[in-house]
Amino acid sequence: MRIHFKKRKSYSAAAAVLTPVISFIISLLLTGIMLAAFDINPFKTYTNMFQGAFGTWRDFTETLVKAIPLILTSLGVATAFKLKFWNIGAEGQLVLGGIAASGVALFWSSWLPPFLLLPVSILVGAAAGGLWAGVPAILKVKLNVDETLTTLMLNYVAILAYDGIYCGPWRDPNGYGFPGTAQFPAAAWLPRLSGRAHMGLIFALIIAALLWFAFYRTKWGFELQMIGQNKKAARVLGVNIGRNVILALLVSGAISGIAGACEVTGIARRLQQGLSLGYGYTAIIIAWMSRLNPAVCVPVSILMAGLLVGGDSVQIMMGVPSAMGKVMQGMILFPMLAGSIFTEYRLVVSRRNTDISEAEVAK
Amino acid sequence: MTAVTKGAGNTAPELILEMRGITKSFPGVTANDKVDLELFRGEVLALLGENGAGKSSLMNVLIGLYRPDAGQIFLNGKKVHIHSPKDSMELGIGMVHQNFKLVDTMTVVENVILGEKDLKLIPNMKKAAERIRSISDHYNLKVNPDKYIGQLSVGEQQRVEILKLIYRGAEILILDEPTAVLTPQESDELCNIISQMTSEGKSAIFITHKMEEVIKFSDWVRVLKKGKLVAVKKTSDTDPSDLAKMMVGREVLFNIEKMPFTPGENVLKIIKLNASDPNGIKVLDNISVTVRKHEILGIAGVAGNGQVELTEAVTGLRTSQSGEVLINGENLTNRSPIEMIRSGVSHIPSDRVAMGIVGDMSVASNLAMKGYRNKPIVSRGILRTSLILAFARRMISAFNISTPGPQTHVKFLSGGNIQKTILAREIDACGDLLVAAYPSRGLDVGATEAVRKEIVRQRDEGRAVLLVSEDLEELISISDRIAVMYGGRIIGIVDSEGCDIEKIGLMMAGIENHQQERGSRT
Amino acid sequence: MKKNRVVLVLVALLLISLPVFAGGSQEEAVAETENSAFKVAFVYIGIPGDLGWTFEHDRGRLAAVKALGDKIETAYVENVPEGPDATRVIRQFAQKGFNMIFTTSFGYMDPTLEVAAEYPDVVFEHCSGYKTSDNTANYFGRIYQSRYLSGMVAGSATKSNVIGYVGAFPIPEVVRGINAFTIGVLKTNPKAVVKVVWTNTWYDPVKEREAAVALLDSGADVIAQHQDTTEPQKAAQERGLYSIGYHSDMAGFVGDSVLVSAMWEFGPFYTERIEAAMNGSWKSQSYWGGLADGIVKLSDFSPLVSEDVKKLVLAEKKKIESGSWDVFNGPVMNQSGKTVIAAGSVPADGDLLGMSYFVKGVVGTVNQ
Repeated sequence: MRIHFKKRKSYSAAAAVLTPVISFIISLLLTGIMLAAFDINPFKTYTNMFQGAFGTWRDFTETLVKAIPLILTSLGVATAFKLKFWNIGAEGQLVLGGIAASGVALFWSSWLPPFLLLPVSILVGAAAGGLWAGVPAILKVKLNVDETLTTLMLNYVAILAYDGIYCGPWRDPNGYGFPGTAQFPAAAWLPRLSGRAHMGLIFALIIAALLWFAFYRTKWGFELQMIGQNKKAARVLGVNIGRNVILALLVSGAISGIAGACEVTGIARRLQQGLSLGYGYTAIIIAWMSRLNPAVCVPVSILMAGLLVGGDSVQIMMGVPSAMGKVMQGMILFPMLAGSIFTEYRLVVSRRNTDISEAEVAK
Repeated sequence: MTAVTKGAGNTAPELILEMRGITKSFPGVTANDKVDLELFRGEVLALLGENGAGKSSLMNVLIGLYRPDAGQIFLNGKKVHIHSPKDSMELGIGMVHQNFKLVDTMTVVENVILGEKDLKLIPNMKKAAERIRSISDHYNLKVNPDKYIGQLSVGEQQRVEILKLIYRGAEILILDEPTAVLTPQESDELCNIISQMTSEGKSAIFITHKMEEVIKFSDWVRVLKKGKLVAVKKTSDTDPSDLAKMMVGREVLFNIEKMPFTPGENVLKIIKLNASDPNGIKVLDNISVTVRKHEILGIAGVAGNGQVELTEAVTGLRTSQSGEVLINGENLTNRSPIEMIRSGVSHIPSDRVAMGIVGDMSVASNLAMKGYRNKPIVSRGILRTSLILAFARRMISAFNISTPGPQTHVKFLSGGNIQKTILAREIDACGDLLVAAYPSRGLDVGATEAVRKEIVRQRDEGRAVLLVSEDLEELISISDRIAVMYGGRIIGIVDSEGCDIEKIGLMMAGIENHQQERGSRT
Repeated sequence: MKKNRVVLVLVALLLISLPVFAGGSQEEAVAETENSAFKVAFVYIGIPGDLGWTFEHDRGRLAAVKALGDKIETAYVENVPEGPDATRVIRQFAQKGFNMIFTTSFGYMDPTLEVAAEYPDVVFEHCSGYKTSDNTANYFGRIYQSRYLSGMVAGSATKSNVIGYVGAFPIPEVVRGINAFTIGVLKTNPKAVVKVVWTNTWYDPVKEREAAVALLDSGADVIAQHQDTTEPQKAAQERGLYSIGYHSDMAGFVGDSVLVSAMWEFGPFYTERIEAAMNGSWKSQSYWGGLADGIVKLSDFSPLVSEDVKKLVLAEKKKIESGSWDVFNGPVMNQSGKTVIAAGSVPADGDLLGMSYFVKGVVGTVNQ
């Protein structure tokens, strides 16, 4: 017996829908076995997870709090990945956006009219994020420097800068020397919609809609798609690849920058420990699972946030160790990612060592 | 150019490898059609053919990268099943690919032992290095086992590949166009290395499309054309022009009607154009040529003699070092592709799947890849999908593109329909100049005819056409003049009407035609 | 193809049923039982197995459970990052009906107050911050007193006269500890210096070790730390050198090379506060207990510490416990030798809480 993958001759809509569903069921089964092995009731665990994330309106708003940066960063990542530009620096772009927005909120309130403080914070955050992605883009276009390395390295630069800033020069002078900036003036607070779910949700939805439109309905999106799918052909057909790469990366970074700006103005309302929580990395998984479709990024991000929040509440409600929550999250994600291969390939089981011509005839 | 001394004396040569009736097809193309191959111990077999003739795919079958649809392989008279390059290596068959399979950041020793079957957890590097050194000395490969691959020249890297195969005990070496990347000196050295190996009883299969190399390297030659074996000759019984004729072959002519030749004013004028590749090797050597309205200028030549580079220079894909490219009198030397497109140049690229389409986008999108920049398809940056679809439906019916629908991903179409899609897009957007490189390569009869007719129609309607083809019959039947390229130069230009195919064959083989045809005007 | 599907379905059914069988004997989780016990929750920044900060809080929790038995029921969540997640986790505890919640990291300060405002019937205890509200108290210990004593041991043990100190963040809590430690070092060895390296993390075994190794490489022969793991101590031990423990009695995890540890003892405090909350006598406060209160301690000495040194240290300990003297009583000089606390003056707690300068004898900077 020989099992191998065969590339599908055409896309199967059924496979596209069924694959994630079946993968998810397999995920739950595998995780269930693991939980049972540790003497933890899987049904109760899943119920608790679901309730923790979506059980009450309040819980749902908390899930949204986590989903907002995930939606935004996954949109940013998807924009770069559309071009096959492997921007794994969304984390750094988010952090830099947060730093820049904090700077505006803290230091420009003296001369900016209050009604402008928040929008300017967010725009400057976006610009900073864009810049942070633009640098690797320019390096790639001009000097062909590998973007996976540069974007990854810039994450560390951004995170260290952020640590240095809130522990050092921007530290709240009235905070007894404790790390963290002073609280932003109220004019720089991003309004909250319900619970702690803030306006960032609206931004995320608008950006998702705009990006969807841009990807599938505009000249720009058309060129991005050409470059992403076949760079050589795009060049032959006169597409300016360098300019598009830089532009797309500015957009990509800016969206992640907005995520950072919303986190500081909407949640903490100060710059302090807890901005870099790995959203930018989770976003890569989300972007892939969404097949880089901005409209799909939104629900997938919410589900992913639910998985993260639910994992925490299992800890609270069932007293399982936090590592178990992490393992569960990983076990649920893994088959889903692996499953995506079935939309492109199908599994073929054949007998081995049959004569080649016979096998052909048998078909 | 002396031939390698061949064979091992007077004893009857021993047949070591036989491939029988190998057939391999890919969607839309039959790469190999019942091809036979025989290889004798201590001899070099040349596999000659144009790009896409099926040489590489036949060898990929032999080393187990492809599984044939039909056919058998015998090694030393025994039937063998080869499922992977690992299998073939165990049987003593190894291949040096065109793109070397070496890791730049590792040393020669590391590369050689990498992927070895019973590689120990901690390999004995010293012992391996010693063996490499002794093989290197024996065959005069001049390989230093401690150097990093990245430090080596292309020629040295190739020798590392050869060494790797010998190290693993290869008895049959397959060399895929080994000289393409070599300087003439390195090429001579390679020739010596091969003769040393054959004198010790090893055998080699040599893939090439250059006639002089066949003469220089081989004992036997097999010529492939469009997947079929068309000739088997002892090298000593043949000569370059004979080989050239076999390669381009003679086949049924389509009777394509065209209007009488009444050339108009100059559209494309190239003046003393020179270009080099990144390694400094000259690819275009002082090219001067003109194409006029109502004219098809055919470019003949064995692949790799600068034809593709010429089309690239005209379409903005290649920068030249000196010379000029004028279109309708405007100097457009070294402009970007988009500027060439705007000045009315359409391009049917040489590699249609890699350069002509975006496989994962729909037929409709691919058809719109020129028009999406223009109103009314785009307005204020927004694409009007309904117009794109309407345009696609029009093109699909006008060019007879066989597709399940405009929304089908273009990669699911056959080669002929992919080419028709490109043709439709390019012709619709065409200004005065159409540049077509190998437009009918690999297509079936029907599609070939459709493509040729369309190109002639463009000429009849008044466009200038620069047509590169490897098919001499195609050039003679549809072009008005034929320029033959060799080594980056235009070696001669002939009128296609009543031209001498023998003479073109000679020119393709690099034998210069001093007396220019009287009818040609440059 | 059909056959394969059937097999697939069978396998799937099997997989589904497995957890059912296995899950039959599942014990109910603590938090789920319904009885009238007083419910107490703890929010941890690390894991109890870190053998450091969280380990100590969990030891305190277990001590309270031991003291109060069935009357209370406790639960904890570990590895809660400071930031948006903390608020959610704290709120979930309040929402689940917990009566009292201990939040044990500085970064939980604002989240604790935020949730406390929403749940006035729940009492909150936040560790290491400076804000309080009607139902939020804060607590901390004068670990600097233990630090001072451990510094005396370090000063007597160094031969190179360089002591390495791995610090987490340049915040007052850590700065104060370094200063007290250095004052202790200079008490027994006026020639020694304390070299500080920041890691910018509370909990990162790899980084902590790297920092310790860097200090050892630069000549330090005793390592002290303000981190959450035992890695710096282990790094010293591997070189055959000494270290000073922090948080817990690290000699138990590393060996006798840990000469002494400045350690926490949250148990009695937790028991007392929980009892107060149970009987209604709980009041918001800012608690900052010292050696005399028992919330901070000095561990037993390693057998490698000489009797003379022990005697000297214990005498100082008695002095502090009696209240007749404290570590930062003047004169205290800063790094440049300027007197910052005048001779004979006793600094206010507020000054100590905001301490952001190094004293004489420290090599390093507060502003990174």
